[in-house]
Amino acid sequence: MDRTAKRAVALATVLIGGAALTGCAPTGSDGDVVTLDFWGWGTGQKEQVAAFEAEHPDIRVRHTDAGGGDDSAAKLLTSSRAGNAPDVALVEYTTLPALVVAQVPRDVTELVTDIDDDFTEGTWAQTTFGGVVYGVPQDAAPMVMTYRTDVLAAAGQEVPTTWEEFADAARAVHEQDPDAVLASAPGGELALYAGVSAQAGAEWWSVEDGVWTIGIADERSLEVADFFEQLADEGVVDTGPLLSPEYNARVNDGSIAGWIAGIWAPSVLAGVAPDTSGNWAMAPVPQWTPGDTGVPFQGGSAMIVTENSDHPEEAAEFVRWMNASEGGSQSLIDDRLTYPASIVGQELAETGAPPSLMPDQADFWQVAADVSTDVVPVTWGPNVSLAKTVFTDELNAAISRGTPWRDAFVATQEAVVADMEKVGYQVRTSDR
Amino acid sequence: MTSTSTPSRAADGGALRPEVVHPVRTGRAPRPAGRRRVPVAPYLFVAPAVVLFVVFMLVPLLYTIWSSLRAYRIELGTSVLGVRVDRFVGFENYAAVFQDAELLASFGRLAVYGLIAVPLTLGLALLFALLLDVPAVRAKRFSRTAIFIPYAVPGVTAALLWGFMYLPLTSPFSYVTEALGWGPVPFLEGNGLFGSLANIAIWGGVGFNMIIIYTSLRGIPTDIYESARLDGASELQIALRIKVPLVVPALVLTGVFALIGTLQLYGEPNTLRPLTTDITQSWAPLMTIYRDAFLTDDLPSAAASSTVLALGTVLLSALVLGIANRKRSEAAS
Repeated sequence: MDRTAKRAVALATVLIGGAALTGCAPTGSDGDVVTLDFWGWGTGQKEQVAAFEAEHPDIRVRHTDAGGGDDSAAKLLTSSRAGNAPDVALVEYTTLPALVVAQVPRDVTELVTDIDDDFTEGTWAQTTFGGVVYGVPQDAAPMVMTYRTDVLAAAGQEVPTTWEEFADAARAVHEQDPDAVLASAPGGELALYAGVSAQAGAEWWSVEDGVWTIGIADERSLEVADFFEQLADEGVVDTGPLLSPEYNARVNDGSIAGWIAGIWAPSVLAGVAPDTSGNWAMAPVPQWTPGDTGVPFQGGSAMIVTENSDHPEEAAEFVRWMNASEGGSQSLIDDRLTYPASIVGQELAETGAPPSLMPDQADFWQVAADVSTDVVPVTWGPNVSLAKTVFTDELNAAISRGTPWRDAFVATQEAVVADMEKVGYQVRTSDR
Repeated sequence: MTSTSTPSRAADGGALRPEVVHPVRTGRAPRPAGRRRVPVAPYLFVAPAVVLFVVFMLVPLLYTIWSSLRAYRIELGTSVLGVRVDRFVGFENYAAVFQDAELLASFGRLAVYGLIAVPLTLGLALLFALLLDVPAVRAKRFSRTAIFIPYAVPGVTAALLWGFMYLPLTSPFSYVTEALGWGPVPFLEGNGLFGSLANIAIWGGVGFNMIIIYTSLRGIPTDIYESARLDGASELQIALRIKVPLVVPALVLTGVFALIGTLQLYGEPNTLRPLTTDITQSWAPLMTIYRDAFLTDDLPSAAASSTVLALGTVLLSALVLGIANRKRSEAAS
């Protein structure tokens, strides 16, 4: 090989090497200071991190906004497979099982064993699978009804406490103003129907002795489908997508007068329609049986330490401080505007001012604390994301074709069972 | 620059002087003695391209094919949820792709969309190019820029912009029809969706295609037109009998581009998806691939469908080009 050929090889080596090198970023300790990578999303995280760093001079945290929801779970899976996941990540409860199966989060049972008393059992169960703890809950999202007090009053209705009363109130609101609906029941909201079905007693995923039971097409879930289908047929709930420009315009003009969702809903609505502040209030979600108090979760997230992390102890310290300490909880309330999952955080929240959407509702946090005392436990399965896409497509198709909504629940169950059987789980369906 | 003004360069010797190369070297002819050097310069010149091709095309391609033959399976161990392992499953993913009725249906939707979008885009592009090429037309530069500008609008921006014009509450068109008592235009519902999506592509694509056809038109020698005019041909006859046949190669090229663009439809339906319930997560094949790869974390399935889509695109493009070439050689003979 002559000189020029050697140079060509050298050039090629540099090109390939350069391409490979750009994929790596330095992480780890610099002297005695440990640097952690942290992926999250949403408001107030920079402030949270700053508050943590102020108390921990030997730990630096590099924060990245990974987008949130299903997208950030997918990013986390991919980066973990490539061996460069961040040390700490925020994940939604719904995506945690899929991440556990892919061995993204580390078993932190030993590292957080002393803080499990800081959470209620129902909350702690969201991050524990078969006795192994995979994360620490950050925010709790009990399902509530956020509604326009003026619209409900104009229709001459009291705040509904049962779904029966909710249906009547929705009809009255629609009769008062044919353009108005009391709430939305969109095809894309698996979590809404899963929560309301759980409240009715259905378990969409459950596992015992290694055998999974799927109850998406459980008789109680199907009755939930019938209930909302009936209201949609009458035109008293809206089925259009949430938070589209169309939806936002209707929230602003008051023709969408409520939202059944997690307790985070008021802060979302305040962002969409700040001018309507003061006309809203929050109430516990309606019940199927009068006198019941069980409330399901909708949404909410936990923080995990990854299997990839080189500094699990420092990462665990960060996770503990962010979610279970007094300072961290205060930051969750003030900067992140969420309802903390920890008991200390929920107590701190009670003394705070109500959200900007309902500045006059003095008992907002008291109501939140009350509904959080009787949480309906929900187990999510390893293929929630698949269920979400099938459910969304099937229910939207049923809505636009006018076919029974329960067919969408059945189709989702079939797809979920087929997928779980294909990958190797033992699965059966709930008989009731 | 002359050799006398740069004596030092000339003194350097042969560096600047081109080597004498035999223009034609027959296979048998022995190389001249003393010139046994392996020619490395050509290899050096192609090296960057080859390296980039291997690193960024060939390796990912082979990796995709390799992943498409694998699948994630659960091994139940100590954890109740089990642990996911990567296994070889042969052509199982491909079998699933070909049995996926929803994926086949999405190709059907693409066909409807393509039947609207491709002929209209090319037809309008040809029409505008021919109009701009008529000598009497004024404000050519302005018109050309005006027609081209939508192409400069990023696809997602264009889809959002049109999305607002389609939504009943924000649409100016629906505002007019509602004022007339006809109700909102169903832009984003049922079959209206095909027209609405195709419209975005046509709006964005006409300008680009027009420029290609127009450039091809400008390349035609003008004396052909002169002789046609002397023979008494009208501008319309010149356009239909002379210009159109001569820009057929450009039309074939833009047609193949449009076909590939149709098969790769993703941005517009995906951007409009949050605005309507009638666009499913698997409306177009690429949306299914995105869903499998990034939402349900089934990378092997996504790899299998990607391979099938890529092969299909190559075959279809080759078919179209083959037919066009045969037609042309038939016409020539």
